[in-house]
Amino acid sequence: MHCHNTGSRKLPPSAPDDIKILLMGNPNVGKSVIFSKLTGMDVLTANYAGTTVSYTAGNVNYRSKSATLIDVPGTYSLEATSPAEQVAVNFLEEGANVIICVLDATNLERNLNLALQIKHKDVPIIYSLNLIDVAENKGISIDVEKLEEELGAPVIPTVATRNVGLKDLLDRAWEVALKEPVAIKPVQMSHDERWQEVGRIAEKVQVVEHRHPTFWDKLGDALVQPFPGLPLAIIILTLSMLFVVGGGQGLRALLLLPILDNYYIPAITSLVAYFIPEGILFNLLVGEYGVLIKGIEWPFFLILPYVTLFYVVMSFLEDSGYLPRLGILLDSLLRRIGMLGSNVVPMVMGYGCAVPAILGTRAANSQKQRLMITSLVALAVPCTAQSGAFIALLGDQSILALVFVYMVSFVAILIAGSILNRVIPGETDPMLMEVPNLLRPSVSALSQKIFIRIKQFLLEAEIPMVLGILFAAVLVETGLLLVIGDLLKPLVEGWLGLPKEASLALMLGIVRRELGVLPLLELELTTLQLIVGSLVALFYLPCVTVMAIIIKEFNLKLSIYVIGFTTIIAFTLAGLFNQVARLLGFQ
Amino acid sequence: MYLASYENNKPCIIENLPDINLLNSLGLRKGSKVSIKSRQFFGGPLVVQIGTRCVAIDKKIAEQIVIKEVH
Repeated sequence: MHCHNTGSRKLPPSAPDDIKILLMGNPNVGKSVIFSKLTGMDVLTANYAGTTVSYTAGNVNYRSKSATLIDVPGTYSLEATSPAEQVAVNFLEEGANVIICVLDATNLERNLNLALQIKHKDVPIIYSLNLIDVAENKGISIDVEKLEEELGAPVIPTVATRNVGLKDLLDRAWEVALKEPVAIKPVQMSHDERWQEVGRIAEKVQVVEHRHPTFWDKLGDALVQPFPGLPLAIIILTLSMLFVVGGGQGLRALLLLPILDNYYIPAITSLVAYFIPEGILFNLLVGEYGVLIKGIEWPFFLILPYVTLFYVVMSFLEDSGYLPRLGILLDSLLRRIGMLGSNVVPMVMGYGCAVPAILGTRAANSQKQRLMITSLVALAVPCTAQSGAFIALLGDQSILALVFVYMVSFVAILIAGSILNRVIPGETDPMLMEVPNLLRPSVSALSQKIFIRIKQFLLEAEIPMVLGILFAAVLVETGLLLVIGDLLKPLVEGWLGLPKEASLALMLGIVRRELGVLPLLELELTTLQLIVGSLVALFYLPCVTVMAIIIKEFNLKLSIYVIGFTTIIAFTLAGLFNQVARLLGFQ
Repeated sequence: MYLASYENNKPCIIENLPDINLLNSLGLRKGSKVSIKSRQFFGGPLVVQIGTRCVAIDKKIAEQIVIKEVH
């Protein structure tokens, strides 16, 4: 159904003599990067805490022995405070042949605190001292041999993003895992004792010399000052939007539409005409809603350019570590609607796709925050595919209409947020969040990430879209659409002021968000009708996949609420807008 | 004196702090040397530097962190 990692999957069946390796450590130290480098699997990574909210398992074959490597969500301590951290604690209790504990060299003390807690459990352990390149730039040097002595286990310096030290890491992991385990006596240490121990070790192994801050350090600091942080935030977000909208329109006008109109459509139409006589089958393939036309045009020529450019921007914002900084600036505003700054991350992800956004809420500490983000994303945050459809639909006729629809979306988030804040019991958590280093994203990591996301989008979108289009084609060709259109006439024509063929968008919109918009492209609508149609699609049901995720992460009841409320809000608001606009004399 | 009302960019030492596990894990403990890097309008969080790293702390929590000046 979807290929995001939802975590309820069972571990892949592994041979009993397989080595089981846990990758553990603080949040945002690079566990997922190490995991994807070692297993060659597609895992999304980012530069902030809480990217991995459930585990991912993969296989590593090395020295003719196979191992199951498990990427455990990051945790600051073994006292689980969020669902994602609980996963980590559970894994530790199940045990493993070896734990690779990843330490962030730029933040040794805090990482050692967790390292000592894990060390005191009865599992063999080795350490990966990651991010040593960033540490060096910051003037931090760590004596690896002394650290090994103190921890009583191998410590391997690594720069995971550049493959440095990873082979060494595997060598040592294999050695330790294949050795007869020596029983380790679990040690009990109080909080204070442990922190004293951490302080002592850090003092002994680490030298910090003062370095002049780099450009990125200075920029990182400036971005969390109200000035120039707020104006810069406005500039960054505006440029991001212009890049996606302008770039997408440009790509389509200059490159994609000429290919589609001049080459693809004539070629495929004559090819089909060569084999199949005109008639229903011909129309199903290359007619008004022909699967070979719309099934290619909509996903590839219409949506894909925007999706690609959106993920370019989003991946850059994620890997640079900008999003948590935006969260700090927006915290006091978000607090008015019951959310906190760190919720910016899943909300922004929602503009990509609601599925990872909802899964990402597992890193939030309270159920209230999870419910709020999930409801808001499901109601009023268009996913990137739907945004692409909006831009294609409205951008050509009226940029103002496009801006208006997004303004409505923002206002709706604010209003719905403050209502939900009163309805959902519980307090908003105080904000307490690590600010990641601002880093220049690596081009190879960025391109890999963008590639994974585009692949995911196409895998997820293509089949439902083709089925939706086939369904549309059947309705149109058999004349059933007219029958349904007549049935829905009071709603669609009377209340919403749309032509009755627009009922097709309502039916397809259940499957995927952008399909609630795309059929409107085929009708000749006035600007008012375009806005009304877009408003319906904006608030209308999220897609089938999202409903499934809501049932899985929460329960059936919440998903029924979401279906009910989104549908009612969509028809009420869009209809009211239409009626008022017409009373005021707009057409 | 409380952290929330201290000046920006001046080091201070934490004398006492509320019992929140995550604070400890993020490196804020009794005796930690910290300095405020930025504060936001309308009661937004403070960005506090500890060692080479920064942490965003809710103003309400910062109001409960007791500090003393470093001379």
